[in-house]
Amino acid sequence: MMRAWIDTLFAFSTTLRNVGRRRVTEPLPWKRLRAHPERYRAGFALTDDEHGEVACIACKACENVCPSGIIRVEGERRESPVTGKKRAYPVSFVLDMNACIFCELCVQVCPSDAIRMRTAWTIPGTSREDQVLTLERLRANAREGHLSWATPGRLRAMQDPERKNGEGGEP
Amino acid sequence: MSRVLDALRMIWEIGWLRGLVVGFVTLTVVMLIAAFTIWFERKWSGRMQNRPGPTERGYGGWLQIFADFFKLLQKENLTPTATDRRLFDFVPPIVVFVVLSSLAVVPYVPQGPAADASVGVLLALAISSLMVFPVWAAGWSSNNKWALLGAMRAVAQSISYEIPLVLSALVPVILAGSFRLTEIVGAQADWHWFAFWPPGPGLAAFVLFYLSSLAEANRIPFDIPEAESELVAGATTEYGGMKFGMFYLGEYVHTFVASSLAALLFFGGWEGPGPDGLHWMLAKALILTASVIHVRWTLVRYRSDQLLRLCWTYFVPAALVLVFAAGLWRILAGGLA
Amino acid sequence: MVDAHPSHEPVAPALVEVSGLSLPAAITHLPRPDPYLNVEDYEPEADAMALNMGPQHPSTHGVLRLKLFLDGEICFKAVPYVGYLHRGVEKLLENRTAIQSVPYVDKNDYVSPLTGELALVMAYEALLDVEPPPRAQVLRTILMELQRIASHHLWLGTFCLDMGGALGGGSSVFLYNFRERELILDLLEALTGQRMHYNALMVGGNRHDVPPGWEEKVLATMDRVEDRLAEYEAMTVDNHIFRSRTVGVGVLDPLLALEAGAGGANLRASGVDHDLRRDAPYAAYGQVDVRIPVETAGDCYARFLVRIAEMREAIRIVRLLVSGIPEGPIGALKPPRHVNAVKLPPGEVYVGIESPRGELGTYLISDGSPIPVRVKIRPPSLHAVSLLPYLCVGATVSDIVVILGSLDPILGEVDR
Repeated sequence: MMRAWIDTLFAFSTTLRNVGRRRVTEPLPWKRLRAHPERYRAGFALTDDEHGEVACIACKACENVCPSGIIRVEGERRESPVTGKKRAYPVSFVLDMNACIFCELCVQVCPSDAIRMRTAWTIPGTSREDQVLTLERLRANAREGHLSWATPGRLRAMQDPERKNGEGGEP
Repeated sequence: MSRVLDALRMIWEIGWLRGLVVGFVTLTVVMLIAAFTIWFERKWSGRMQNRPGPTERGYGGWLQIFADFFKLLQKENLTPTATDRRLFDFVPPIVVFVVLSSLAVVPYVPQGPAADASVGVLLALAISSLMVFPVWAAGWSSNNKWALLGAMRAVAQSISYEIPLVLSALVPVILAGSFRLTEIVGAQADWHWFAFWPPGPGLAAFVLFYLSSLAEANRIPFDIPEAESELVAGATTEYGGMKFGMFYLGEYVHTFVASSLAALLFFGGWEGPGPDGLHWMLAKALILTASVIHVRWTLVRYRSDQLLRLCWTYFVPAALVLVFAAGLWRILAGGLA
Repeated sequence: MVDAHPSHEPVAPALVEVSGLSLPAAITHLPRPDPYLNVEDYEPEADAMALNMGPQHPSTHGVLRLKLFLDGEICFKAVPYVGYLHRGVEKLLENRTAIQSVPYVDKNDYVSPLTGELALVMAYEALLDVEPPPRAQVLRTILMELQRIASHHLWLGTFCLDMGGALGGGSSVFLYNFRERELILDLLEALTGQRMHYNALMVGGNRHDVPPGWEEKVLATMDRVEDRLAEYEAMTVDNHIFRSRTVGVGVLDPLLALEAGAGGANLRASGVDHDLRRDAPYAAYGQVDVRIPVETAGDCYARFLVRIAEMREAIRIVRLLVSGIPEGPIGALKPPRHVNAVKLPPGEVYVGIESPRGELGTYLISDGSPIPVRVKIRPPSLHAVSLLPYLCVGATVSDIVVILGSLDPILGEVDR
């Protein structure tokens, strides 16, 4: 009986010791103590190719793979004003973040290194429409930066069964 | 100017008017102290858990309690349909009334409290044990099964712990030979604090008194009437807004009053190094209150049957033995005055 | 006071042979209450009170509803109602290809999503007869054990929360546990990019390889976690009040546990030495000697001890594996480029793995089309919840909260 009560006192020393510890709470929204890693996935962006045009070729791979079915892409074939070659361009690209589960599968399958996720973790809005990303907003996101490490190419190179480089995540 | 002072002095000499003034000042100060106890609890528990606690309003978030107070005031006065409406609304003021009225006999300065009753100890404990009625009424009138379970537990617990509480308070009473709180403090003069002198029974009685008052004030590890993880919020489940606020305030005032009583009975009240007075009394009471808070945020709670078994198989016999020992000490060492 | 339970003394308990298993005699063949008791037949029927605990209750761990019939504060009948969190995950998986379905099972057992992923992915791999490369296998094992530690952290926190309340010592243990769980989530976040719904695995391998410097971070975190584990133990193991609340409470008959299909710590705390990691090794568990902690008291305290020991064991396994991750690719199949990248052969397969809560199984039937015909998930939490009608009888409301917490059900997994 006495022993049990003395053992209970260890609990007090534990809590007392913790009084002196550094606090671990992040004082959001004022300050963020820890940065998200570069692979963090939140938000989306459509990047440009080397000619300054949107890299998306409207192949609908992301639309088909998206488990939640939140991506709608419509495209048309037209001549590039820069290179003069004919290729498909997205006319509209709608991504409804309200139902997104951030699984990164759209990035996984993209054949043209177009869609990427972002590390900017605050995606505020005042209405549901604010969370519906259009082609313009997706491209603006890409110009704003904060892009995740994973591009479609990097992801697939990392997963490639014939990969030579076994070291690290950066192929 | 001197006429005003004369008038004040006249008021001071009329006993019941003086009691009114002292009582009013005590109430105000203790309510403020209770409010800051809430702030301290939030800060200290935050530090214990590596959290900052309130930070936003005022330095260290000290204005947060007032923000909370006004929030509670603004809340809708919600009364569920099936309640006994009159009793339900009547209970929270009664809680505050009960916990505050025991302050009438608790002295914080050598000059004495609002009413320096000759049976001060008994009166303070008797008034605070009235808490059982409003808590039971709250649980019953809520017409809620969780509230009813909580109220039943509260009654069983309060009635049981009343006994070791009063018996352990009897130890300093026997040693001092008086029920008057100012005389009990006076008997501890020259550092003969009852917690340490006579060695043994005093300290044990203090431990019993402390634990029993934890149970009386429904603090962890004896907070089974509230037991928010089991009974949602016990007897106060259906209360919201300022009605809940009164229960909340009552809990903290109760804790502070119990700590004050412990300081008076066992730690020499306002006596200390340097000049005696209010500062030592408040310091002792606040240290005891802080220890209650530290205990609360460290331990888990007992089950109700274990709690009652603890009371009846350990606390009550131990308290009886201590009362006997105190009487023996008084006969042997002090002689019957 | 409740004295120390005799079976926690360090003496070998008496064993009894039941159908080839040696079970602790003290808790085998316990009298079993009737879960279908007619309330009208109960003797002091006039005093009975029906109490609905949940779905909105602080300690039903989600949205479990328990209908309790109380005599005073003693429960004489308990009926669990599940389904408040039903999302139709199995039906969703029957409409998704192998690529698409992995993120869905993350949401089943949201406390340990990686095990759910592994159970599904391994079922697809068994159907396809694909073996992930050794690097992926070792990485998966590390991930599973990290997830087990994180899951047990959350369990220990909420368990103490149930006993000590949101405003008390329980919340201190809870927040200490979350402090260390965050560190593990940081590791998983650095690897996969998410803190909760990882989508870290795919058919044939992992989706993510380790980032530079990850192994050192894992080792440092394991040191920290092990260090702080002693702190939780100081607050619980010998704590008199904690012991009073758990020792001898909710004693689970091993035969009942086996009949109900309970698994994990619930089973091992009742003296049944069963763990798929050792008995049917998957991933890289064959390479490590997994030590399975077994207790024989069968009460809440024994389940607590088993889970604490499992955390230590998981730390050991992670340390063992992380220093020697083999070189090579992390996927056996070409990385998917479109939704139908994985072609399923016709057939049916069942794969069970040891999740932190017990045997988590996936049953797949495919007719050769890209999407499976039938997917059935066997959640260990459902079987834990099915024990409640037996364990709650004779317990007080306070005990029921503790028993429920000690069984560690995750309602997302129960309801699917």
